[in-house]
Amino acid sequence: MDYLYSILILVGIYVVLASSFNLIIGNAGLVSIAHPIFFALGAYTAGLTAIHFGLHAIVATLAGAVVAALFSLMMSLPSLRVSGDYLMITSIGFQLGLLQVIKNVEFTGSQGGLSNIPTPVTGPYRGLVYSVVSLAIAAAVVWMIRWIVRGPYGRAITAMRDDELAFLALGRDAMRIKIVIFAVGCGLAGIAGGLYAFYYQYVSPEQFEILASAAMLTMVVVGGMGSTLGPVVGAVLLIALPQAITFLELPPGIMAPLQGMLFTLLVIVFMFIRPQGLISPEGPTPLPGHRHGNRSGPR
Amino acid sequence: MNAVLTLDGLCKSFGGIVVADHITLELERGQILGLIGPNGAGKTSLFNLISGVVPPDAGDIRLNGVSILARPPYQRARMGIARTWQQMRLFRTMTVLENMVVAPREYAAESILNLVFKPGAVRRADEIACEQAMRILERMHLSQCADSLVTDIPFGQQKLVGLARALMNDGPCLLLDEPMAGVEGQAYDTMKAVVRQEAAAGRAVCVVEHNISFIKDLCTSAVFMSFGAILEQGSVADLLASKSLAELYFGP
Repeated sequence: MDYLYSILILVGIYVVLASSFNLIIGNAGLVSIAHPIFFALGAYTAGLTAIHFGLHAIVATLAGAVVAALFSLMMSLPSLRVSGDYLMITSIGFQLGLLQVIKNVEFTGSQGGLSNIPTPVTGPYRGLVYSVVSLAIAAAVVWMIRWIVRGPYGRAITAMRDDELAFLALGRDAMRIKIVIFAVGCGLAGIAGGLYAFYYQYVSPEQFEILASAAMLTMVVVGGMGSTLGPVVGAVLLIALPQAITFLELPPGIMAPLQGMLFTLLVIVFMFIRPQGLISPEGPTPLPGHRHGNRSGPR
Repeated sequence: MNAVLTLDGLCKSFGGIVVADHITLELERGQILGLIGPNGAGKTSLFNLISGVVPPDAGDIRLNGVSILARPPYQRARMGIARTWQQMRLFRTMTVLENMVVAPREYAAESILNLVFKPGAVRRADEIACEQAMRILERMHLSQCADSLVTDIPFGQQKLVGLARALMNDGPCLLLDEPMAGVEGQAYDTMKAVVRQEAAAGRAVCVVEHNISFIKDLCTSAVFMSFGAILEQGSVADLLASKSLAELYFGP
């Protein structure tokens, strides 16, 4: 049973991560792949404030979200000047640089990671409580993102992604929207970080490397970039699939590389067969008395 | 002094290429000013300077007598400088109507705080923008494609949507970058009629255009540019009769 709970908790965490990542990269078209570092900022902040200041898990998780949102300015400010590939390279630099700092300062536990994070829930129902909380947060996050991207705000985000220069020349303040999108998206990753820290009670720097960026990107791409439910499907699939393979009882020499290749393989297959992902973007809510044009199919 | 837009000694060069060489120009209410000249003369660059996409090296830009040089592009648009683009730059994953509804000078939903705390006001603003957009589309005989994706309609109509979207900004100044390139038939007549109506309603209009008959039909005056400088300025008839213009356009 604990095995099932641990998967459910991971699914919840990764639904939050993939959905918030999709808001940034899919809906707003801001090509950053530094999302894991905001996950890390949330996890470390939550863990550290709980250890040193005795903050309650909920407060510590919120603190993690706030710190991640504040640090997101380091992505939204460069996005004022650079976009596309250049923004992506900036984001890699930011992610690796900050990770180097985490690995080398003392108070984060350096290379060895941060351990002995206190858990607010103990006893036989620990797994159950964490799964319920994790899935509830995931549902709330998906609902909130859907609310953001479907209304008139979503229409503005879409317009900005389609053509930023035209968007500016219509009187829209693209910078303000970018700051909000990065803050919301990264803040949500911070919440996922808090959840992670309190469940595992241990955070280590390796899990926030580029490989984690690749995993989140795969979830978004396979699920469907720019669609609200896509990243949910992507996260569930990519958490479940490696677990399912273990039941095949393959020899470990094949198993390990197979799991590693799975993500890469899926991205390549989807690029060719279904570039829009499993679920196509649905676009904003129709205006009163109007309908949408045909949005299906690759763009 | 009833100039809506004043350009005062505007200079800009990219490396050795001069795109604006001491441009001094006034645009008045109700005027339709034609901006003509060979490719690379700096006509579109002038629009980019006015709308704030590119900062000038020297000179000043005033809207109703107030310098707007320090304003970023989005604020200039909110002050009432609307523009279209030669390449249209429509929002390609959105419908015609959606393209227009994000284009009013003030967009209540731009602030996420409004969205949370004043959802009623946001919804009302959306409805008003929607009605305004439908009125403009009707004027341009486009209401039947309001719900089509912009990429699904013919080129001439996309060009009209570019103008329609700019008209959502009801400010005093309208800059049109080659509105006629690739447009013919009914769309051509519609474009001409709408531009004329906008000027009659008191807007200051400036048109960059290669189509001389469009300039002749519509413009009250014209400016001839070459290598970033204004060579001649006056009534369209005078300009077209000028020898130096014909030489520059068609060769000696």
